[in-house]
Amino acid sequence: MYFLLIEDDSDTARYICNGLEENGHTVAWCSNGADGLTRATSEPWDLIILDRMLPQKADGLSIIKFLRNNGKMTPILILSALGSLDERVHGLRGGGDDYLAKPFAFPELLARCDALLRRGGMRDDAQELSIADLKLDLRRRCAIRASQPIALQPREFRLLEYLVRHQGQVVTRTMLLEAVWDYHFDPQTNVIDVQISRLRNKIDKNFSPALLHTVRGVGYLIGIHG
Amino acid sequence: MDRFWKSAAFRLSLICGGLVVVSVILLSTAFYFGTVGVLMRGANDKIITAADRLAQSAKSGGAAQVATRIEQLLNDGVDSDTEIYLLADVEGKPVAGNIAMLDDAGSLDRVIDRNVVRNGRPSIGRMLLHRLPDGSLLVVGRDMSDLNEINALIWRAIGIGALLALVLSVVGTVFFRSRIERKIWAIRYAALDIEEAGNLKRRIPVSGESDEFARLSKDLNRMLDRIEHLMTGVRHVSNTIAHNLRTPLGRIRSHLEEALRGQTGDEKLVAAGRFAIIEIDDLITLLDKLLQIAEAELGTRRQIFEPIRLGDLVTNIFELYDAAAEATGVTLNKQIDGNPTIRGDKELLASALANLLDNALKYTGRPALIGVFATQQADRVTLLVHDDGPGIPAPERSNVLQRFYRLDHSQPGYGIGLSIVAAIIHLHEGTLQLEDATPGLIVRMVFPSVESIT
Repeated sequence: MYFLLIEDDSDTARYICNGLEENGHTVAWCSNGADGLTRATSEPWDLIILDRMLPQKADGLSIIKFLRNNGKMTPILILSALGSLDERVHGLRGGGDDYLAKPFAFPELLARCDALLRRGGMRDDAQELSIADLKLDLRRRCAIRASQPIALQPREFRLLEYLVRHQGQVVTRTMLLEAVWDYHFDPQTNVIDVQISRLRNKIDKNFSPALLHTVRGVGYLIGIHG
Repeated sequence: MDRFWKSAAFRLSLICGGLVVVSVILLSTAFYFGTVGVLMRGANDKIITAADRLAQSAKSGGAAQVATRIEQLLNDGVDSDTEIYLLADVEGKPVAGNIAMLDDAGSLDRVIDRNVVRNGRPSIGRMLLHRLPDGSLLVVGRDMSDLNEINALIWRAIGIGALLALVLSVVGTVFFRSRIERKIWAIRYAALDIEEAGNLKRRIPVSGESDEFARLSKDLNRMLDRIEHLMTGVRHVSNTIAHNLRTPLGRIRSHLEEALRGQTGDEKLVAAGRFAIIEIDDLITLLDKLLQIAEAELGTRRQIFEPIRLGDLVTNIFELYDAAAEATGVTLNKQIDGNPTIRGDKELLASALANLLDNALKYTGRPALIGVFATQQADRVTLLVHDDGPGIPAPERSNVLQRFYRLDHSQPGYGIGLSIVAAIIHLHEGTLQLEDATPGLIVRMVFPSVESIT
């Protein structure tokens, strides 16, 4: 995949470039807003990673605005040292597709990038989702594995739905908290881990193969082969 | 003078004085035209009427009858000290009257002022000259000496009055200016002391009067109290943050140093790196939480407040914590009376509730019960979170709301969960109270209801 990284701090940029390239992506780096805008408009990209605060008073949000006004719908992930709720809302309303506050863990960035890349191919109006012998009926909000109905609470169903929509991808705890509960704070206790283990008990305990896997230090993944 | 012009007090008093002078002038003008003006007009009218009458008798009886009439008028005892009459024949010889013949006829048939000699004394007369059909000159007039004296008297009175007003307003201007300046100086002096000497304890002296300046000084003093309080708070927070960062930073440093020292293998380096990342992530979380407090205290999020149904809020947060509670054998219980609704920020309120549930799960012995109760009275909404754990001893209850205050050092954490809750509740104009549930802790939050705000 082709990534454009617009980031003025060379250390952060190197860290991101190396990490993404290790994961098989091709990354072009621009250290200022003007170059970034030129390259963002003149070449096709799969994803743009954009720092909000760029040198020469350029605001990353104005770049997003320009791109969106010119019909460029490339997914954009905003990186920012401004981590407050307000700034986040500001960034997403401004046309960003995801917002990640600095400093961040690289796996978190990678997982979010993957989610954004995959989003384009995912049909939102599907009636049914499935992985292996697990089927989710989105209209009746119920799950069946190996022809056996699985009793899920509404929120558990949403959690499972999100995981299955992102099957084969690693999703982090914060991604789940944001997508399934719509919260952006960081709970002190391991609430997400416990939610996952309860869900795992319901969908994996009496079945084979195991579908819901823990990716150590990063998050979770639903897939046939862990 | 420039210094004076730049003084608002001076300009205000000057404007005031100017207004006084102008009103004195206006008043005097009205008075002048009401008295002297009326007298003058009356004199003119009288002259014109008398001249008309005499001209009429000239038509019927000629100059001779006019002369007789003049003699009669002069001797009737009415206005005898002011009246002026003269009839002179064609050659300019006086036939009848009480003034000497004028040097020249001048303009005819209109009221004019000129010097005359009346009964042998020079004087100023107002008169009307008229040429009778036979060529003789008729003069009807009035001696103006008395009226002119009154006129002069009134002008003098007005002049003295205006001068007095002017002097008073100048004196008043200077007086008011110095008085206001003195009061303002008291405020400025305190402000300069605070700014230059950094003396935050300094207050503006408040006089016994309850005028605007005293009220202003009191308001400013209250503001200074608040600033001093905040500054103390900021200093305290900076100190504690610095102090609380040193410990984990020291830990990270010593681990890394130990790993780099001597012939340690890769394994130890990797372990130290991992340890450092975990510790740094903790610090980032801490900074995020401090930012959250700052954001709540800043109050900008009030702009996006919307009605929040506490029932939905509690249900949602329970759906996040239910698994954790189940796993540890804690029962979550909620009771929502009616539809309690407050104005607020969903995200922040959820965060506050999450912090309270985190605390309850962390500190309550197991098995345990955590209950959330919400109800709406007339204009208040009460939200209770209670548990049956060990609770917080009464003397510690106000301390635990402070940042970095930790009751139980055996548990991990930085001791800012409850300060976040307190800041969020404060942002929502609510009150937070910690009470004894015998056994356990009750966190009582009271908010204004939506109706009471709108």
